[in-house]
Amino acid sequence: MDAKGRALSETVWTRLDRKAGAITELTIRQLRHRLSTWVVLAVGALVMILLLAFYIDEIRRESEPVDNDGDSVDWDEDGYPLGQENKYGTSDWDGQEYPGSGYYVMTGEIDWNDDSRFHSGNHTWDGQGYLDAEWVDLDYTGNRWSGIIDWGQANPCPEGDAFDDWWIEWGEACTYDDGSYFVSGKFRASGTVNIPEGYYMQWGHMTLETYVEPEPASMYIDEDSILWDGEDVSEIYVESNCQPGWYYGSVYICNGFEVDDDGDCLVEMYDDNNNGIPCDVIWVLDADRDEIVDIRADYNVNEDIEEGKYQGESSHRTFIIGTGKMAFVLMLGIFIPLFLALGLVRDETENGTLHYLLSKPIHRAEFITYRLLGYLLLAGTYILVLVLLMALVTSLIGPGDSLIRLSDFPVWLGIGMATFLVLAAYGALYNTLGLIAPKYGVYFCIILGIWEFIMGMFTMTMPSASVPMLSISHWALQFIDAIVLIAWPDTLQYSQIASAFGIDSGLPFFWQPPVHTLGTQSPVAAMLVSVTVLLLITFAMMGIGQSSFKNREIM
Amino acid sequence: MSDKTPAVLIDQASKWYGEVIGINDVSLAIDGGVTGVLGPNGAGKSTLFKLLMGRLKPNQGSVRLFGVDPWTSTAPYRRVGYVSESERMYDWMTGLDFVATLARLHGMTREEATARAEHVLDFVGLSDVRNKELGKYSKGMRQRVKIAHALVHDPDLIILDEPLHGCDPIARTSIMSVIRELGSQGKTVIISSHILEEIERITEQIVILHNGRLLALGNLHAIRALLDKHPHRILLTCDDPRSLASQFISEDPVYGVRFPEEGQLEIQTNDLSAAHAILPRVIVDSGTDVSAIENPDDNLESLLGYLTGGDS
Repeated sequence: MDAKGRALSETVWTRLDRKAGAITELTIRQLRHRLSTWVVLAVGALVMILLLAFYIDEIRRESEPVDNDGDSVDWDEDGYPLGQENKYGTSDWDGQEYPGSGYYVMTGEIDWNDDSRFHSGNHTWDGQGYLDAEWVDLDYTGNRWSGIIDWGQANPCPEGDAFDDWWIEWGEACTYDDGSYFVSGKFRASGTVNIPEGYYMQWGHMTLETYVEPEPASMYIDEDSILWDGEDVSEIYVESNCQPGWYYGSVYICNGFEVDDDGDCLVEMYDDNNNGIPCDVIWVLDADRDEIVDIRADYNVNEDIEEGKYQGESSHRTFIIGTGKMAFVLMLGIFIPLFLALGLVRDETENGTLHYLLSKPIHRAEFITYRLLGYLLLAGTYILVLVLLMALVTSLIGPGDSLIRLSDFPVWLGIGMATFLVLAAYGALYNTLGLIAPKYGVYFCIILGIWEFIMGMFTMTMPSASVPMLSISHWALQFIDAIVLIAWPDTLQYSQIASAFGIDSGLPFFWQPPVHTLGTQSPVAAMLVSVTVLLLITFAMMGIGQSSFKNREIM
Repeated sequence: MSDKTPAVLIDQASKWYGEVIGINDVSLAIDGGVTGVLGPNGAGKSTLFKLLMGRLKPNQGSVRLFGVDPWTSTAPYRRVGYVSESERMYDWMTGLDFVATLARLHGMTREEATARAEHVLDFVGLSDVRNKELGKYSKGMRQRVKIAHALVHDPDLIILDEPLHGCDPIARTSIMSVIRELGSQGKTVIISSHILEEIERITEQIVILHNGRLLALGNLHAIRALLDKHPHRILLTCDDPRSLASQFISEDPVYGVRFPEEGQLEIQTNDLSAAHAILPRVIVDSGTDVSAIENPDDNLESLLGYLTGGDS
């Protein structure tokens, strides 16, 4: 016991703890008593709930099969979907042409400059001229694309000469008083045609029809899936197909993996990747064969993938990463400190309540630290609650066979951590600005917030650009990129697959591999670099604020 | 720290704000008892206190609290309680909460802090309203809470900046008795005011500041005695000023009379004490009904006017 009867176990440190506890608690209670705190926190929560609603709607749609290439549609309404017509080489624009339909064989013609301009017979005709018919097949009809004359629409021909005084459209005919016609298009008839000079008519017959069972449209939804399940990169490596090569470093180039399931590439035998194998995919693996460096696909290969398997997972990750970057780091990260941290010390000075605190044996620098600590405890708890809510909902609803996607939790916690580090850095920065420029600090902070937002967007599109390194948001976004790669190592593949097969996905926009790996390519290194930079910024800003406050005279 | 170090030691300290002088070349040592710092608004009282509390840094000279420079160290605040003139508080807190929270900044545990806060709130007479929000406190209650927070750690030195300002008479009396009590406990108390009468009721030991300068230092009665020998006025409100005037004019300490307003008599004297001594007798003898006696010159302004040679 000392002279004042205090226990000797009471050290300087325990007393420091108590002071820290008191200021921290006071700060939290003060923030809790301010309306603006609740408004900004409620707006943040509302945004997250809206995003979740959007997510639930989106995921429901994404797991439903979608016909990405449109070949399940029967455009000419002949009962056969485009995919089946492609397979049989028939047109999906001509209702008369379908799998098993007869096809036209030409047997003769009157050319533009032939001498003889007359021909008689029972044919299927195609061209323009005068027709003196013994019989016309009025049942031979087609749609507007087929060019088959619609006899039901045939009107009396106008006065004057055809082609000089009047004109009719392709697929039309008109009648003369003597029972002859002027025809323009395709028709079946027995009789004599007279072709004016400069015009053309051909004749022939249709082959016999065979019945081909129409395939259901559903066959052409999700018909061209990716063979690789996206889990083990080594599955792609087959010794006979892969050669060591050079492509931004030593790599393995694997040809021929993946096939054109629906055959829409094979019809035209596309070979966009110039490896002599039509309709294949080149997978470029790194020297360790554990990472895909590039994917080069021929056109129309794997373009209509299974939504439930790839697209669902891709959308799920895109949502988490996008929400983490845009809503948590760039929105909450910038706005919460603006409302909660700017006035941490400044408001005490302005309200005249600082005297109570500073007349106690507490150093001004300590005071700033504990104020920031209080703000961070409040804001950090809020972020943690939001992150856990988001994690719970998305991991329960998200794609996959398991009840809950545990692999999502590290990513969400990483997003929470990144947001927390941003709150600390901006909090220290805004508090310092509030101290240095009490009157105009808020404008500086708004300008800074805009700068940070722009740099954040830059970081997402060009992560290796150097200017965004001058922002706080850059390092937080890099931190998320690193965490994503640690928790979901195959995200890189998902991103590349989206780019390679032209699949609609936001993943390549919202996520790119972390840049600052100190040459190790390791996401852990990138994460550590980001954390270090963010902490350095925080402490530097705190230090500036402390030294400014320490030497300030308080009126 | 030696016990011989005075609680407050100011050595030729000056503080100015640009062109404006806060205090100018003030030297002062205070240790023990209640000291009143008197001066009109703008005399430098708050500047002096802010220098003592390390809010401001002197441009010249030095300020020491228990031998330590308060600008560079917070150590002296363990032994100092400060009541600022600021009226703002955390209105959403209860009185007990406010005092206990600030007590914890002295390193007390939550329980110690609450116990101490209850004790000091009782000492300043606020124990019945301790669980009421500060926003609902009257002006006098707020001043007393501020005093309680300054006393919570049992300091050796208590500095009060205008603690009576704006208080009603009951609160004033209560605060004065608290301060006198602190003085009698052997603590060093420094209290500022611009009203002579307030200080007079608390202490005899005064410091007079004027235009940033230390004008007088010492016993109030000694200073007042000097003042008494100088022309003074006594204002009587009565029903027949003229007959009362004729009674007074023949008395020795009185050298003149005036009738400033209807029903008022002003007596001019060179010896205030002597004039007051004869006053009851003359009034009784005259049989006039006197409803009020005032000393318009018995204020700080007159004192300052005298001390500065009539230029105030």
